[in-house]
Amino acid sequence: MTAAGTAPEGTAPLVDLRGLGKVYPTRTGDVTALTGVDLQIADGEFVAVVGPSGCGKTTLLKILAGLEQHTAGHGTLHGTDLGRPSGDAGMVFQKATLLPWLDVLANVLLPVTLDHRATAADREKALGLLRMVGLEDFATKRPGELSGGMQQRVAICRALVHDPSLLLMDEPFGALDAMTRDALNVEVNRVWRETHKTAVLITHSIPEAVFLAERVVVMSPRPGRVVDEVAIPFGTVRTPDLMGTPEFGALSARIRRHFEVKAA
Amino acid sequence: MTAATPLLAQRRLRPTRRPGAGAGGRGQLVGGLALLAALLLAWQLLPPALGTPTYVVPVLSDVLAALVDPAALPRYLEHGAATMTEVLLGLGIGVVLGLGLALALAQLPRVYAVVFPYVVAIESIPKVAVAPLFVIWFGFGLPSKVVVVVLLAFFPVLVNAIHGLRSVDRDQLDLFRVNGATPWQIRVRLMLPAALPQIFSGLELGVANAMIGAIVAEFVGAQKGLGVLILQAQGRMETPAVFALLIILSALGIALNVLVRTLRRVVISWEPRPGR
Ligand SMILES: Nc1ncnc2c1ncn2[C@@H]1O[C@H](COP(=O)(O)OP(=O)(O)OP(=O)(O)O)[C@@H](O)[C@H]1O
Ligand SMILES: [Mg+2]
Repeated sequence: MTAAGTAPEGTAPLVDLRGLGKVYPTRTGDVTALTGVDLQIADGEFVAVVGPSGCGKTTLLKILAGLEQHTAGHGTLHGTDLGRPSGDAGMVFQKATLLPWLDVLANVLLPVTLDHRATAADREKALGLLRMVGLEDFATKRPGELSGGMQQRVAICRALVHDPSLLLMDEPFGALDAMTRDALNVEVNRVWRETHKTAVLITHSIPEAVFLAERVVVMSPRPGRVVDEVAIPFGTVRTPDLMGTPEFGALSARIRRHFEVKAA
Repeated sequence: MTAATPLLAQRRLRPTRRPGAGAGGRGQLVGGLALLAALLLAWQLLPPALGTPTYVVPVLSDVLAALVDPAALPRYLEHGAATMTEVLLGLGIGVVLGLGLALALAQLPRVYAVVFPYVVAIESIPKVAVAPLFVIWFGFGLPSKVVVVVLLAFFPVLVNAIHGLRSVDRDQLDLFRVNGATPWQIRVRLMLPAALPQIFSGLELGVANAMIGAIVAEFVGAQKGLGVLILQAQGRMETPAVFALLIILSALGIALNVLVRTLRRVVISWEPRPGR
């Protein structure tokens, strides 16, 4: 259990943020959401971001997605400046955000069909992803016929169908019950292992962060900064019994301490 | 006859028509029919019993006789066709204009900010009041009626469509943007389908308004149409014929409404059924 300063040396990181800041101009004055964020993420790494509500986690993710522009510092993805959607990120939102007028397969294929007419290979790929999350029999169903957990699994498939290098998840399971959530976390771990994606997970749940990530980034209250980075040395295969181990408890406690200090 | 029942019965019956709820649904249907029969019977028996003159409230059988009068049928058909031509033509133009302007305004927030107060202002004037003006401008024929119908059908379609198009879910928008969607793709593949329920609500209002517009315009000055027939029958104090024409108008209005609702169910196949 060691603090990881930056991503592994050697190759350039996939994501490189230096002194990144974000100010939202609003009617009642400027809101500083992020300030001086330094963060490097290596190719294939799984990073979880935890922090108090309103500290700028979603803002950070949207900047990575190219949906918001940073107002200070410097940020690159694949060595290219951030600033607009690169097409190289897949995004999973807190709610599944499926289009109710498309069937499951067409929803999964959306990132593809926004770019070109889906080929047989694309469709095979989408069906393969659905098979991976156990939903191949639901390809022709409408989202309205699926449970919340199933919908979120479809959303994960959709985020992966165009093979992006970066998988961005913003509290993807926050709206689900605890049991579904645990099952989906196992699923996400498997998807990550099998697809070798770089993943950024934003979550309010410290156990979820420790269970899934190789590194947990802790952010301060607004304006958000990175105040700690905790390496999670459990390898890539994570199983539910991990959560009962003392190491798991110790790492969770270390992260939780950041929030308790503030409350005391 | 079926004047009011289809609309009411649809709302009431559909939710109970779930599997296993057949008995309850049938019970309501029987109840509805019984009430209808009672009302019709009262219509037939009550006016003479109360000594109401037949030119005030004619009994049911007189109205039905006027309705199926073979001598009147060609007139009903000819004038009904005239009214429906006005309605459908005006509705078509009004819907195309309303939807088109809504799509344009939803894409141009600056123009929207300037134009929308005017839309609201015009929306709040009683538009049928300008019908006499349109008769001066466009004459007693078809054009003046169509213009009134267009005016009445246009606004509910426009206002509802704009609201639908502008209330797109933020996450859905982000989803499209993160995947590099063009503004055109966002318009056609996100905003339009997401707005369809609201667009159809506007269409339903537009249809009801279109019927009103056509009849009022015919009242103001026309040579043809069911509105003209009503005025003529009124002039001759033929109250049964007036009632018969009202029944015809109701039936046409209901038919249009059912058509739009059916279209909605086909087009928005993902929408949960009413009675959710
Ligand atoms: N579009 C915006 N305009 C103005 N201010 C914004 C905007 N988006 C976010 N903010 C502000 O920036 C700050 C950070 O918001 P953000 O949504 O990134 O927080 P968060 O960490 O994701 O919070 P939560 O955990 O509650 O989701 C908040 O104070 C918020 O009010
Ligand atoms: Mg957030």
